[in-house]
Amino acid sequence: MFKRSDESLIEKAIGGDAKAWQQLVSRYQAPLYYFGLRLLGSPDDARDLLQDVLIVLCRNLAQYRGDSSFKSWLFGIANYRAMDMLRKRKTTTEFTEEHDFYDDEAPSFEQQLYGQQTQRLVQQQLRCLPPEQRLVVELRFYQQFTFDEIADQLALSSNTIKSRFYAALDKLRTQLELADVEQSANF
Amino acid sequence: MSNSQQIFEAWLAGKITASECEQQLDPQSEWLERFHTAQMLQRQAKAPFYAPVPEIDTMPMFSQQWQRPAKSNNWWPKLSVAFSVLALVVSLSPLELQMQDSGLTLSWRGGQQMQQQQLETLLASYRKEQQDYIQTQLQNSQQQQASQLILLKDYLTEQQTKERRTDMLELVEYLNQQRQSDWHYWQENYQPSQARLELGTSPNTQNR
Repeated sequence: MFKRSDESLIEKAIGGDAKAWQQLVSRYQAPLYYFGLRLLGSPDDARDLLQDVLIVLCRNLAQYRGDSSFKSWLFGIANYRAMDMLRKRKTTTEFTEEHDFYDDEAPSFEQQLYGQQTQRLVQQQLRCLPPEQRLVVELRFYQQFTFDEIADQLALSSNTIKSRFYAALDKLRTQLELADVEQSANF
Repeated sequence: MSNSQQIFEAWLAGKITASECEQQLDPQSEWLERFHTAQMLQRQAKAPFYAPVPEIDTMPMFSQQWQRPAKSNNWWPKLSVAFSVLALVVSLSPLELQMQDSGLTLSWRGGQQMQQQQLETLLASYRKEQQDYIQTQLQNSQQQQASQLILLKDYLTEQQTKERRTDMLELVEYLNQQRQSDWHYWQENYQPSQARLELGTSPNTQNR
């Protein structure tokens, strides 16, 4: 089916087309929520972030000039709001079972369960990274942005982003190895 | 930038495959470990995520921000404005609304005068035309009458001449008849007497 471009939807939404706005929101609602969920660790925070970003998006829709992709522009807003929330919170919320955001009601085949366990472990370790590094990993792997796009969004140089990214990879590897050792010791 | 970093970034950018990257990276270098971690993260990122997304009703804020109030379908104000404009036009223009014989008449002010003027012009034109026509007809009639009078005069003159001639002829004929009658009378009554007279007087008369 023909998929309308973000730019076309924005243009129509600015003209008051509620359907276009709904379509635009539904296109980015899930990626934004999961972004918040991975970065902030709490469904409530992720929901707040999603709401914040949508409000900002609604207010500033006409300010999108098309210099970068809409997704990049939108995640620029989301990054700023997420980092703001993390700064306000100051302390990183520990990943606990209360903040387990995987829906157990979803298809629960054995393989998926195994996959989910690995995913949980990776998410746990990601959450132990400093927010700046976590953000770069999130944007690079989960949102598929290039280093240059991330640099644009965060108003930093590409080299800074890369050094954060490699530092995050190194740290994550160490953490995962430690976690693996702990798991083995528990068994 | 090291060669390993270039290889790693080429894999990240999708320019080379994972196996090519793994082969090209130095087994002892930290880049291979980074590659494995990144590969694991990439797999994780592609795995489906099942947490339900909360529904956020964005329509009220969207409506407030971008939707204009719906156009009112009430046509009374429009009708009111239309009538006001009509009244204005009627009052400013030569249009006249008149109640006459239980009816409403819309007409141009001064229209009657204009009609009167037009009528007068038409009547004047008609009058002039009629006068010209009558004049022409009169002239024609006079000419015809004059020619007919001349003809009548000629005719009468001719008839008179004819009658006079006839009378003269009759008179001459009468006179001739009279003379002839007188001659006969003379011959019958006076000629013998004369002859006798002449005979009786003739020698004496001759001697003298």
